[in-house]
Amino acid sequence: MYKFNFASPATIDDAAAQFEASDDATYISGGMTLVPTLKQRLAMPSDVIDLSKIASLKGISLDGDMVKIGAMTTHAQIASDGLVVANIPALAELAGGIGDASVRNRGTIGGSLANSDPAADYPAAVLALGAEIHTNKRTIAAADYFVELFETALDEGEIITSISFPVCKVANYQKFSNPASRYAIAGVFIAKTSAGVRVAVTGAGPYAFRQNEMEAALDGDFSAKSIDGITVSDDGLNEDIHASASYRANLIKVLAIRAVEAIS
Amino acid sequence: MSNNASINGGVGSGISHDSTKKHANGTAVYVDDIRVPENALHLYAFPSPHAHAEITAMDLSEVESADGVALVLTADDITGMNDVSPTHSGDDPLLADGKVMFQGQAIFAVAADSLNQARAAAQLAKISFKPLPAILSINEALAQDSFVFTPQVMAQGDAEGELKNAKNTLSGKLNIGGQDHFYLEGQASLVIPQEDGDVLVHCSTQHPSEVQTHVAQVLGVERNAVTVEVRRMGGGFGGKETQASPWAALAAMTAQKTGRPAKMRLVRDDDMIMTGKRHPFQISYEVGFDDAGIVTALDMTLVSDCGHSLDLSRAINDRALFHADNCYYIPNMRVTGLKCRTNKVSNTAFRGFGAPQGMMAIEEVMDQVAQKLGKDPLAVRQANLYNASNNTTHYGMVVEDNVAPEIIAQLKTASNYDKRRAEIEEFNANNEFVKKGIALTPLKFGISFTTKFLNQAGALIHIYADGSVQLNHGGTEMGQGLFTKVAQIVANTLNIDLEHIKITATNTGKVPNTSPTAASSGTDMNGMAAKLAAEKLIDRLRQFAIEHYGVAEGDVKFLPNRVKVGKQTFSFKEFVNAAYMERIQLSATGFYATPKINFDPETGKGRPFLYFSYGASVSEVEVDTLTGEAEVVRVDILHDVGRSLNPTIDLGQIEGGFIQGVGWLTNEELFWNDDGALATHAPSTYKIPTMGDRPDIFNITLFDNENMEDTVYKSKAVGEPPFMLAISTYRAIWQVTKGNLDAPATPEAILKACGEPS
Repeated sequence: MYKFNFASPATIDDAAAQFEASDDATYISGGMTLVPTLKQRLAMPSDVIDLSKIASLKGISLDGDMVKIGAMTTHAQIASDGLVVANIPALAELAGGIGDASVRNRGTIGGSLANSDPAADYPAAVLALGAEIHTNKRTIAAADYFVELFETALDEGEIITSISFPVCKVANYQKFSNPASRYAIAGVFIAKTSAGVRVAVTGAGPYAFRQNEMEAALDGDFSAKSIDGITVSDDGLNEDIHASASYRANLIKVLAIRAVEAIS
Repeated sequence: MSNNASINGGVGSGISHDSTKKHANGTAVYVDDIRVPENALHLYAFPSPHAHAEITAMDLSEVESADGVALVLTADDITGMNDVSPTHSGDDPLLADGKVMFQGQAIFAVAADSLNQARAAAQLAKISFKPLPAILSINEALAQDSFVFTPQVMAQGDAEGELKNAKNTLSGKLNIGGQDHFYLEGQASLVIPQEDGDVLVHCSTQHPSEVQTHVAQVLGVERNAVTVEVRRMGGGFGGKETQASPWAALAAMTAQKTGRPAKMRLVRDDDMIMTGKRHPFQISYEVGFDDAGIVTALDMTLVSDCGHSLDLSRAINDRALFHADNCYYIPNMRVTGLKCRTNKVSNTAFRGFGAPQGMMAIEEVMDQVAQKLGKDPLAVRQANLYNASNNTTHYGMVVEDNVAPEIIAQLKTASNYDKRRAEIEEFNANNEFVKKGIALTPLKFGISFTTKFLNQAGALIHIYADGSVQLNHGGTEMGQGLFTKVAQIVANTLNIDLEHIKITATNTGKVPNTSPTAASSGTDMNGMAAKLAAEKLIDRLRQFAIEHYGVAEGDVKFLPNRVKVGKQTFSFKEFVNAAYMERIQLSATGFYATPKINFDPETGKGRPFLYFSYGASVSEVEVDTLTGEAEVVRVDILHDVGRSLNPTIDLGQIEGGFIQGVGWLTNEELFWNDDGALATHAPSTYKIPTMGDRPDIFNITLFDNENMEDTVYKSKAVGEPPFMLAISTYRAIWQVTKGNLDAPATPEAILKACGEPS
């Protein structure tokens, strides 16, 4: 590891101010991606600002028909939290399938969403459930959040404070894990929401996206049969050392069918 | 606890590995655990970023002046020979000299006060390259006649002629991937400088004598100035046979030049990028067979990707040819081995040493023949087995100890093969997407180094005047239990409890000119050498008793933990002390050279092996044909280890070998970028099997047999053969996919094969 300045502010405002005051700062939440990145010098920020001492970024609460999850909540906490399990069981299950036990106990939902790894699991849930991402400046709708590969709508220095998920008891997430890293080679989250069926895909493209054709078909008839005839194009899908684009296209459909079957 | 009836821990007892508790509680010392002296230096080798290039300029001045740096080593600093080839072929430079042949080749090395300083300093190098065209695949190498050695042919009968006469023929191809060794302990050496420029090398190696040779060669000194010691390795699997030398040699150069201790330990990524792996193979064949599925003629070519240098590729490719018959008699057979030179890391020994690829080839042929005829693949296999009259291999060796037919028959019954195959057919008829497959494959694996001179081993045993024993031999311990087995052999031969036998680190100063612990022969050879040494001591002690106590030879009896001389009985300790007082030498060496073996590469004929080990396995898999996911649901194994020296250790070797083989054939995929860089160089991208990948039903039984050859206590070698039991898993998956299924059978490869017309 190289030398950098390290701070652990107690409030969001302090954290943002310190970010503003440094040349090239980064926030650290769980550090599951950032620390290896620093070790390999893929990023060399001058200042690392730790968000773990900020009490207001933690905790899970039920706010009307929304489950509000603090950005610094770990995957393990989400997986086992009574409120999440009772109100959005599919989200708890998704969190319980991230990485391995040590990743789940260090990694946070805010850190994951700010990083926006194309193979992360949460983006599929955020899109399918129509979550809201609250920051220290504003609230961003799920549909506007994911912009490009590792790029989000967040401004420089903007801090995710919490994420609000609408309560949704009928949903399911299916993923095809890389056997080594457990990242999603493809993952599909299907939710029956008040606005209709939502199908969101992660892992397969540069960033998470919704599969509109499947949504329309499932809105008409929520059954595996109704999406069986849909051909998923491999256009624009990821092609890398883990899988070809056409294999990912195939997985999207298979996983969607599995998710529908798990719900029905 | 001594007792009069029998000794503790003798041959055949299933005691646990001598270091089991130390492995678990962390007190087993590996090279990196040895406390280094305060002024030790740590080395880092700078890897080539190009697969093939000329080095046009190199400025290391900033590296030299960086923090903590004591020494920078380049090819020009080598006082001896810049070569660490195991076969002295001159194509394995320790440090690149003017050109680089693969991505990851060491160009220079930095020694600094810490590893981090050495790594950081190395990044300051200014090197200019002129990239050259690189050969990155078997097909490119074939097109350009790029080989590391001449082809080898082994043949009997008239394959070409009989293919024309055959009732049925078919031809095919098979691509088989490589495999990283993934020993848990990476390559590591610690060198302590001694008087007069001598060096003591602590090294994680299967071949201390070769490390000694290479270090001496690089330093330009005689071998007597270099002592190599190995207490244990955290896994070897062949990856520390030839791949340990470079790092030991760089550390030794540093120790020699600075007078300071020097340590070189590769981090995992560098280890995966800079050291050789299992050879990928490309198989093509044409087979002729009758309507019963009897193979009448086979012409097969096995092409291996050897990487940039010869290393052990000749012997590895040869072993693939030696095993291209597996358990089957093929009267007209020609098998050709081609050894391609590519601009990749030089591939090397890995458990099985080419035999797994040879067996994969012939097992593919068997299934294709059965498929073509619509027959049960096991029936076709059984119809082609060696038997009493058809028992000559394509390299002219007579198979005298064939137990494959009995093993298959027993396993077929024990695993309920016929019933389960019928059930699977029914299951598949009723399930559209999830399909099951079952396959039984046998194996016959030749035991001995095919390089004849390596078939020798030495041991050194001391009995101290208190009756305790210290044991040393040329074999190395890599977790496989060799030290335990050899100690059991000595306990048996001296007829004393195992707890009196002290196991000691392998050391070139104690037993010289040793062979690698490889070719599964560690126990066969070192165990026999130790037995011979112990027998010498017993003979001397018996002679002492006869002369000192004036008794006849028959009146001296070595009973468990005691010696009966006439009417007197002494404890072993009392007896040994009496011998010491009478000035009897209580130290002996033993030496063993494997008998009967010979092979002539010119004619491709001979008897390269003392004997064969046999085994068979049945795998049942469940495949999701929509995603290509495969799960191994049940495995049954029946394996021949002769008279087991230690059933606990043998079962462990069988289980571990099988799982490692399943990893090779399913999950472990090496991915090379278009520019020749290995993209899978860490556990985050390269998946080896874990506990969770063990089949839920996993039955392993030792076959009741004894070695018909005069091996140590009639045992058979166990290190490599079980690896090839995993072929049944691959064949079971193929039963579902049919078509061209490349290995490893990853989900994507399986899905691709499912989509092809069979």
